[in-house]
Amino acid sequence: MHEFSIADAIVKNVLETAKKNKGKKVVSVLLEIGELTHLSGEQVSFWIKELFKDSVAEGAEVKVKTIKARIQCKGCGYKGGMGSDQEDSFLQVIPASCPRCNSFQIKIEKGRECILRRIQVLK
Amino acid sequence: MKIIKATGPEIFDIELEKDLLAKNKSLAKGNRRRFDSSNILAIDIMGSIGSGKTSLIKAILRKLRMGTKVAVIAGDLTTTIDAERIETEGARVIQVNTGKECHLDANLIRRAVGKMKLDGVEVLFIENVGNLICPGEFPLGAHKRLVVTSVTEGPYTLMKHPYIFREADIIVLNKIDLAKAMKVNPSQLEKDAYRINPQAPFIKVNALKGLGISKIIDALGLKP
Repeated sequence: MHEFSIADAIVKNVLETAKKNKGKKVVSVLLEIGELTHLSGEQVSFWIKELFKDSVAEGAEVKVKTIKARIQCKGCGYKGGMGSDQEDSFLQVIPASCPRCNSFQIKIEKGRECILRRIQVLK
Repeated sequence: MKIIKATGPEIFDIELEKDLLAKNKSLAKGNRRRFDSSNILAIDIMGSIGSGKTSLIKAILRKLRMGTKVAVIAGDLTTTIDAERIETEGARVIQVNTGKECHLDANLIRRAVGKMKLDGVEVLFIENVGNLICPGEFPLGAHKRLVVTSVTEGPYTLMKHPYIFREADIIVLNKIDLAKAMKVNPSQLEKDAYRINPQAPFIKVNALKGLGISKIIDALGLKP
């Protein structure tokens, strides 16, 4: 739901980095978004492209990779993903319970990140 | 010898590994240190629109009778309605308008705290923007996080938004007097809360009438 502000922060980071590295043009941006964040990759990338307009990054490719969740269940000891492998899992809020025993007492080890991993620039 | 040199622009990879949510977390830690150094207990009040966050803060202030030893940061999109409502209870209030933003973040709180006179303040309430999704992702540095839900939101709020309720130290069910009219069973909501977060006390209140408020004050470790 807060895709715009995240996109805004990403765009500022990208443009600053490009400037610092004397990049004449930004070619691509790679993001990694954890599937347990409430961020939609499509919306984030839409806003990034909008905000890139009229800058050295206009037209840059925006790639979004999903970071799969990894949890540890305090109930049954399960370690692994959240069982969210079905095709349209991005449309659902992933249940916050253990896929094996249904307990909500889980420790999230991965899946709550939003990382600007890499940008490519033309010098 | 003829040397052929590649010309023209070349593509350079720049590795960043910048976690954009991590920045908020580190600012939140800074806020926590600021509160600790002044011996202020900071409480983040979260809940959906109309769940009764402002009414609950007003009811707590009325019972606490701590006057200007309590400060409130009221978060809202553009209006000062909430701040004005709270001001009548005698606490120091500052309004933070987020504009289009759906949540408060640690940076806004850092700025608000910088603008407030906090000498003599013992308790700081932070009223978050009405929303059950985004505030969960943006810790502010508060010592306690309280989530208010109300029976008028229907019977499924907790199961639909487990993430924010799992973050909570205290879960409050407001408007308990309307449960029958809304055909909502408070015991079922209590069971849902226990399933999601068995550590958090589940407190049923009627904020407008001040019922159940002393249990919240106890759970927060405050003394009226």
